[in-house]
This record gives sequence, structure tokens and C-alpha cells, in this order.
Amino acid sequence: MKGRRIGVYICHCGGNISDHVDVEKVKEAVSKEEGVVVAKTTMFACSDSGQQEIIDDINEQNLDGIVVASCSPKLHLYTFRGVAARGGLNPYQYIQVNLREQDSWAHTDDPEGATEKGIRLVLAGVKKAKFSTSLEPIMINTKKSVLIIGAGIAGLRSAIFLADLGMDVFLIEKEVEPGGWVRKFKKLYPQEKSGEEIIKELLEEVGKRKNIDLFTEAELVEQTGYVGDFNLKIRTKQDEISLNVGAIIVATGFDMYKPQDGEYGYGAEGVVDLPQFKQIVEASDGRLTYNGKEVKNIAYIYCVGARQKPGVENANVYCSRYCCNAALHISTLVSELDPSITQFHLYRDIRTYGKYELLYEEAAKKGAVFVRFNEDEPPEVGKSNGNLQVRVKDLLMAGKELQIEVDLVVLVTAMVPKQTEAIANILKIPIGRDRFFNEIHPKLRPVETVINGIFIAGACQFPRNSSEAVASSLAAASKSAALLLKGYTELEPSVATVNSARCKWCGLCEEACPYSAIDKVESEGRVIATVNRALCKGCGACVPVCPQDAIDIEWYTDSQVRAMIEGLAKEIEVART
Amino acid sequence: MDYDVLVVGAGIAGEEASLSLGQMGYKVLLVEKGPSIGGKMVLLSKTFPTLDCASCISTPKMAETYHHPNITLMTYAEVKEITRKGDGSFKARLLQKPRYINEAACTACQQCEMSCPVMVTDEFNFGLTVRKAAYIPFSTAIPNKAVIDVDNCILCGACEKVCPAGCIDFTQMPQEVEFTVGSVIVSTGFELCDAEKKPAYGYGRYKNVITAMQMERLLAPTRPYNTVLRPSDGRVPDNIAYVLCAGSRDNTVENPICSRVCCMYSLKQAQLLMGVLPLADITIYYMDIRAFGKGYEEFYQQTKAMGTNLVKGRVGKIDEKENGNLILHYEDIDNGAVKRQAEHDLVVLAVGFLPNNEITKVFKEDRLLLDDSHYIKEIDEDMHPGKTSIDGVFVAGTSSGPMDIPDTIIHAATAAGHAAVHAENIKKGSR
Repeated sequence: MKGRRIGVYICHCGGNISDHVDVEKVKEAVSKEEGVVVAKTTMFACSDSGQQEIIDDINEQNLDGIVVASCSPKLHLYTFRGVAARGGLNPYQYIQVNLREQDSWAHTDDPEGATEKGIRLVLAGVKKAKFSTSLEPIMINTKKSVLIIGAGIAGLRSAIFLADLGMDVFLIEKEVEPGGWVRKFKKLYPQEKSGEEIIKELLEEVGKRKNIDLFTEAELVEQTGYVGDFNLKIRTKQDEISLNVGAIIVATGFDMYKPQDGEYGYGAEGVVDLPQFKQIVEASDGRLTYNGKEVKNIAYIYCVGARQKPGVENANVYCSRYCCNAALHISTLVSELDPSITQFHLYRDIRTYGKYELLYEEAAKKGAVFVRFNEDEPPEVGKSNGNLQVRVKDLLMAGKELQIEVDLVVLVTAMVPKQTEAIANILKIPIGRDRFFNEIHPKLRPVETVINGIFIAGACQFPRNSSEAVASSLAAASKSAALLLKGYTELEPSVATVNSARCKWCGLCEEACPYSAIDKVESEGRVIATVNRALCKGCGACVPVCPQDAIDIEWYTDSQVRAMIEGLAKEIEVART
Repeated sequence: MDYDVLVVGAGIAGEEASLSLGQMGYKVLLVEKGPSIGGKMVLLSKTFPTLDCASCISTPKMAETYHHPNITLMTYAEVKEITRKGDGSFKARLLQKPRYINEAACTACQQCEMSCPVMVTDEFNFGLTVRKAAYIPFSTAIPNKAVIDVDNCILCGACEKVCPAGCIDFTQMPQEVEFTVGSVIVSTGFELCDAEKKPAYGYGRYKNVITAMQMERLLAPTRPYNTVLRPSDGRVPDNIAYVLCAGSRDNTVENPICSRVCCMYSLKQAQLLMGVLPLADITIYYMDIRAFGKGYEEFYQQTKAMGTNLVKGRVGKIDEKENGNLILHYEDIDNGAVKRQAEHDLVVLAVGFLPNNEITKVFKEDRLLLDDSHYIKEIDEDMHPGKTSIDGVFVAGTSSGPMDIPDTIIHAATAAGHAAVHAENIKKGSR
């Protein structure tokens, strides 16, 4: 590829790269490469001025390809494709080289080695850029309809929102009754509103909207298609329904941790978990009773099923977020019921984050007694003279051992991930180490998944309370609307293409394709392979199996990859000190 | 209608809300009081629990916001008055402050900055360094344009002489503009707690007591000294203390609530410090470690395993020694609940959030209500998080209470959703 005019930009990343890679040396080395007409270093290539500099160079130097050597393309591929486009270049004439995650961060102990590797990586990028061609994104018309899986508070609330933006919403619920956990609760913190009432209101609102279809006892059984155009099969008790939607929101909620028999005395009379206790309190009027007996002393044991030590299989290492708040809230309700009840809170850290601190303060004011225990010396629940007794060393009292006789032990149980492997398999969305569904970026994209058009909302992503679940469901719905309202979306054109002259249809590529994107077709009297460009993910599985060498992946063509290898293996000289 | 939505404040919440709305196809006017967008997030070092560099993940959002065809950005501009009209829309009066430079011609060459003789405390480095009266806010500022801080400018004309583009213009005047907007999103963020309000900790009097925000700057990729130094003598510290809940969970400073982020950012800074100063000892004095978000508890356990010393106990007071070292008086709760003293050569106060509710003043006829903690009140958190006491005015991010970045992103997208539904209702005439 002679006659190319490539601009190369090597980013300091404000020290993230330049602390370990000699960016000036990298610049020097690549500036000698044939076809490179601009080679520069830049403090932050992604900053506005950094971007403007590239645009100016494209115009002034007549560049026909650019290479930015900076961070992972996961962060900035689209940023710099945008830069290319604003400079008048086809965005696919831009190549990103990862000098940070793949070089400086990995070799902080070896600056010379990192610099040498940096030169090779950038040379490979330049070689790839020389063989790059202009590509156009694949346009998909998007359906203005959404499937929401799970009709708990998150699913119901996002359904109403999407319907109000004019979308067709299909809401499926596995259980007989919609409403999830929240339907079973009376008072929710901190607004003291009734969960039952909230669900009733939401169901009324759902009923008012003609563009929401709610199916109960329904399950997703099959998904094909792609962002903007998913084809789904839903099985209900009566029949099987086919749906076609543009996006999917997963709002399958959580399960409650069930303590094992004997865990803190669980199974014995008088030892209950948090949902059971909530029912006991909500069923009481006037006096708190358990099995007909009046309750005067309660011990709460926190972090049951959460903050477990790693090592055990499926240990819940995470903090379950909602439980401290929930336990303290119910403690204030108990105090209101009967101020003479003594309540002991056996905790590790009280995590009433933000304004929930006021709940902690209120519970303390109402007489709650706090006992802090060491994670290595958890409380023991036993019997003494026929009564329940909790033994614990209280760190707040210099480690003094307390023996507390109580009528009720409440195990403050964690939210745990629902068994959702089936949905994960059907939708191909990843599950994290904590076994909740994983978002694409925990900081900046908490409701999106790696699969375009599939979103996660509520406690299926991580434990949260009901108002937090509503917020995340509205965020997921906003993101779905942002995707679908335009009526179209664009997909990466980096997909397989078939050289029709070479192909002799043997079917090996069809067998190798994990996305069912390859089929045979008749063309000019011959049978050859054809690729469904919307389904193809550009994984490349078909390329090596083709005996005719008739398949290439756009943007990763054989000639590009060969050139990159040449760049990586090139003889270079770096002065070693 | 000039814009479907007015977004006030261009930190991460304002950017996220604007981008969500822009992607949905609504026209957004985004107004930022300061000279650059990005808020406090872009000034941070790295973010917990992934240790993504804050500049690296902020700048793409900032650039996307700046370039989005549906977003009009006004920086260095203030909202003066918002009044509700009969049809559910609003009239907004804004003041564009003069930068005293020709924005279109400025190339951010920094000549004006270098020639300016006036030194002013640099607010973007939280007082660690100085900046000039003619300055660019920070290296990744958007827009990347100079601004002349006229309150401190001595009108010497040095910048005018050196500016190669001739873009210094002292004749610029403040300009009032007025727009009709469908709804308003308040994303004005939070204030940092003033550490001097805790005199027992000596901030402002003891040189080696700094705030965590200052430590963020010392650790950031755009850090001023390229390493961590203590202020009194420029020495590299080797025994650093973190005092948690400095100004949070504290009725003596009238801030009883928890700030939600300080535990995690302190753990994060401890990890970063172990990278920068491998020999330094780091001790965190805490009341409860609140690692409550996704991946946070795991991060906490990792920080402990890396060797950070965690001491349960609130620091009562700090004394300064002659050599600048500090004596912390605290109760060691986990080891016999006894009073102890410890010497450190640098103390970091984990200051928290305070409400920033100045915006309430601009609403003339309706009242924008505050909650008990003086943050903007969400009137129906259960069903409509982000909805305020004024129909058509929504709140995004930390204007409504302390929260971390993921919760802010979720909250901002939620507010954007409400604004979108509001815009649809105005179109239908159902308001």
C-alpha cells in the first residue's frame, strides 16, 4: 500500500503511559516508517485540544489514515472515530493502539522493554492503517417495542415509562401474581409507604395503558435476532407466543438468603430470618407476639449470608447493601409498636449510607443497643434454661463477653442472586463473580450489558432497595428509549465477507459459525456462502476453516493481520542503558 | 420552544442526563457556571472499585457532550431566573459571563497564562498550587479556552501583548439571554465540607493536615508535583493517616448524615499510595467501613490484604509537633476500647458532602423544596426518583443527596427519563 498519508499520535495519558514508556522514542522510531507523514506526542489525545489537533492535521496534511497510541479501544475507539469523521475521514481509517493496558501498566518495572514493545505495537498499528479501507456501518431499523422480564417493582415502573414514550411494552412474569417482593411488604423505608399499595398503584397504571401487555406465568424460552430486532418465544401456561422487539430489559430481581440449618441457630424455634420477622411485625397490632408468646427482647444478627469469607464455594463475599437499613427501619417500627421491647443489634459495620444514617440515629434514640462483633468471633445462638441465648464478645465494651437472653433472634439476611442461568444462556449476557448480572462498565454504564440492546435493572444487577430499584429501572428504560426512539441503529461493519469467486460451498463455515449467521445461497448458477451481516459478530471462526481462503473479516483482513505481524516482528534498535 | 430541556450544571450528572436526552432526540441546553465542564469527577485521580483513571473515563463523556448535535453548551454562564408558564414549560433567564477573550479565536496556546503576573490560588487543585488571572482551568478542560478572571486581573495588558491570535478583549460585557424550555434538570452537584469547621483536626492551622480532595490532586495523572509531598517541608511522607467522617455523621457541624463515598475513596487512595510510596505506612481511622456497592466489599478486603492498617475509632483531636508531625488522639475500640495516641507525618481528612442548594433562588413563583438535610427534595422517591416539588423540574445526582458515580449515572438517566416524558406530554398538550 504505497502512497498512504498516515498521522500517528502517541499519548502520554497524563503520565499513565509516559511514566513507563518513553513516548518521544516511540515517536522517533515510528516517524521513520514509510507512509507516516505526521508523528506527534500529546498529553491527552482524548482532550478537546488533542482531538482538534488531529482534525487540523487531517485537513492541513491531507491525511488518509490515523493511528492513536493511547489506552484501550474500549475507552476511546469511538472518540477517535468521531475525530476522524469530523476531520472528513472515514472512521474506519482510524486505528487505535493500546499502549496503556497492554504496555505501560503491564511493564512498570521495565521502562526500556516497555518502550521497545511500544514501538512494535505502534508499528503494527501503522501497518494495519496502511491496509485499512473505508467501511460503512450496518444500518438496522429498530422496533419501537421492548420486552421486560420480571414484573416486580422495577419491571412495572419501567413498563409505564416506556409506554408513556409511545413504545409497545411486553412484560412477562414467571409467577402467578405480578409485584415481586415489594407486593409482600407493608412499610418501606424511608418514606413509610406501603409496598402493597405501590404495586397496586403501578398495576392500575399498567392496566390503563393499551400499549402494555402483561403476561403472568410466562417465561422466555428462545431468543434470536439482534439489537433493534429481537425475535422471542414466550411460553405461557396456555400457549407459546412469538414477539418481535427492539430491546430487552432484564428485571428478574433477587432471592433472599436462606440460612442453613443450624446457622446461628436457624431452624430452632425463635430464630427467624428478616422476611419472616417483617411478617411477624406487620401482622402484630398493639403487641409483638411470636407463637402466641409476647416478645420483650430481640437480638438481630447482621450480615447473615453476606460479607462471607472467600474460599467457600459460592461464598457471598459482597455486602448486600440494603440489610443494615432494613433492619434498623424495622427496629424503629418495633419500638413504635412497644417501646418497652429491648433490641440488641449485633453488627460488624453499620452501613446506613447517606441519608439512611438518620434511621440509625432514630433507632439509637429509641433505645436500640448496639453490639459490635469481630468477624472471626461471630455470635453463638444457644439455649439456657429453655430460653434462647446469644453469646457474643462486644468490641464496644473492650471485648467483654455478653450472654443475652432473648425471645427472638432475627437473622438479618442478605439478598442473593436469583438462579437466572437459563435467562443468561438465552440472552448470552454475562454473570459476575458475585453471580449477579454484569453491567458493561460498573462506573459509567451500570444498566447496559455487553449485548447491544439488552439492559439490566433493579436487584438482578446488585442488591438494592425498592426506590433504588425503581431508579435503575428508569435508567434502563431511558437507555432503551435512547436506543429505539431514533428508529434505527448502526452496527459495526467489521463482519465476515465471502469472496464469491473463490467460494465452492462446502458448508464448513456454516458449521463453525456460533451465531448462525452463515447460509448458502445461489448466485450466478453456483452455490456459495452468504453472511447475515446483522447477526455476524466478526468473531472470525469461519476464516481458518475455509479451505478456499474465501472469507475475510472486514477491518481484520488477512492482509492487515499479516502486515501487523510484520510490524511487530520488525528489527528495531532501542538504546539500552 | 427553544429547547426541550434545560440542564443546569455540567458535571457527570449533567453530562449523563444531557447525553441520554440528546440520544433520545430531544434538544438540550446545558449550562455550566464554571469555565469548563466535567465537574468534580474529572479532577479525581482514579475511581473505585475499578481503579479506572478519572480523566480517562470522564474526558470521552465530556467530549461527547460538547460535540453532540442535540446539545447546546453554555459555559461560564449562570441561570438567573426560571419561571413556569401556563402550558407546563418554563422561561429561563441566563447570564453569559464574559471570558474577556474571543472564544472562537483562542487556540489554548497558554501564552496569556505564561505572561500574566498575577498569582491566584488554584481552585482546580484545591489550593495546592496557584494559577494565573489569565488561565486555562486544567489541561483537559472543555472547552479548552482561556479565561480572564477579572476579579483578580490588574489590567496590566501583558496578555494582550503576547496573544498571537489577538483574542484578548476587555470590552466584553455580561450578556443576558432568555429561552423557553420544556423542563429543567438540576444537576448542580455538591459542596465539599469545609474542614476548618472541625477545629480539633487543625486544618488550616497545621500544614500537614490536608483534605482528601487535595490528596486526589496529588495522586491524579495531572498531579502538580509528580509525586506525593507533604506541605510543610516538601518531604515524601512515610506514615499517613486518614481520618474518616471528617465533617460527616457529625452533629457538631450540623451534618448528621453519611457522605457515602469517603470510606471508599479513602480505601482507594490507600491503594494508590501504596503504589506511589511503597514504603509508606497507611492507617485509616474509621467508625464503620461502608463498602456497600457492587464490588466495594471486595475492594475493602483487598485494601486490607495489601497492608493498610484499619483502626476502628473516631479521632478526637490532633496536635502538631514542632517538626510538623501530628499526634492523633483516638479510641482504639477493637483492641480493648482504650485511648491511644499515634504519630503520623501527614493527615488526610476524609471530608464529605454538603448540599449545594443555591439554585432554589432562581425559581421565582414556585418553591423548590429542600429535604431535612437541605438537599433538593425528591417528593416521591418510591415511584418517581428525581422528581422535585415543581412539576417539570427534576433533580439529577448529588444535588439531591450524597452519592457515588454509578448511583449518580443511574439517577441522571432517571431524571432524563422524566424530562422526556414531560416533553412528550407538552407536545400532546396534556399539561
